[in-house]
Amino acid sequence: MANIQKHTNPLFLIVVAIVSWLIPGAGYLLLNEKKRAIIIFITISLTFTTGIYVASIGVVDPLNAKAWFVAQMLNTPFVAILGSISTGSNYPVYGRTYEIGQIYTSIAGLLNLLCIVNSVHLAYTRAIKPVGGRL
Amino acid sequence: MILHEIIASFTEPINIPTDYKSMLWLFPLAVAGVIVYKAMKVSKITPHIFLKEVAALFLFLIGLLIIITLALLVLTTILIQ
Repeated sequence: MANIQKHTNPLFLIVVAIVSWLIPGAGYLLLNEKKRAIIIFITISLTFTTGIYVASIGVVDPLNAKAWFVAQMLNTPFVAILGSISTGSNYPVYGRTYEIGQIYTSIAGLLNLLCIVNSVHLAYTRAIKPVGGRL
Repeated sequence: MILHEIIASFTEPINIPTDYKSMLWLFPLAVAGVIVYKAMKVSKITPHIFLKEVAALFLFLIGLLIIITLALLVLTTILIQ
């Protein structure tokens, strides 16, 4: 009963969303979905890191690639730190490498958005389902 | 020293030529998308079921892309002739 009340609390849903954004997959940890959380954290982190490795840190560019930066920010707010570092310096980015880096980092962010929405939905659905009900 | 080299490797882009091989970078991204999607959708995650689901969706996705590619190739060839 206490568990249902906790999950129906709108504040809990907001906390799940924020925690999911701060650390990819962490929202599932709050819902006791440890395996899901680990898989999502590793996959999204690896995808984002691959993008940065391929194209250099300069691929996070809040000034000249705003739309891409918004998608990259969906990974975690800490991407803003990378953005400020790359803005202050001239890291080389060019050609096909730049495109691939942007696509990887942005897709990782969009995948995390999907996970944020899904974890909030999971929290909400559990709240309105009978105890022991699973999706 | 090793840590310094690892961090430094993130400040220089790697070399990817603009040719058909660069399209192979699609595969890791497709794997990532499939893993995240299946991690959300599979109701109970066990290694066997999860890997099976991921492999099935990945193969379906790649198969679909190959079919679309071939269809576009045929269409383009017909239009050019």
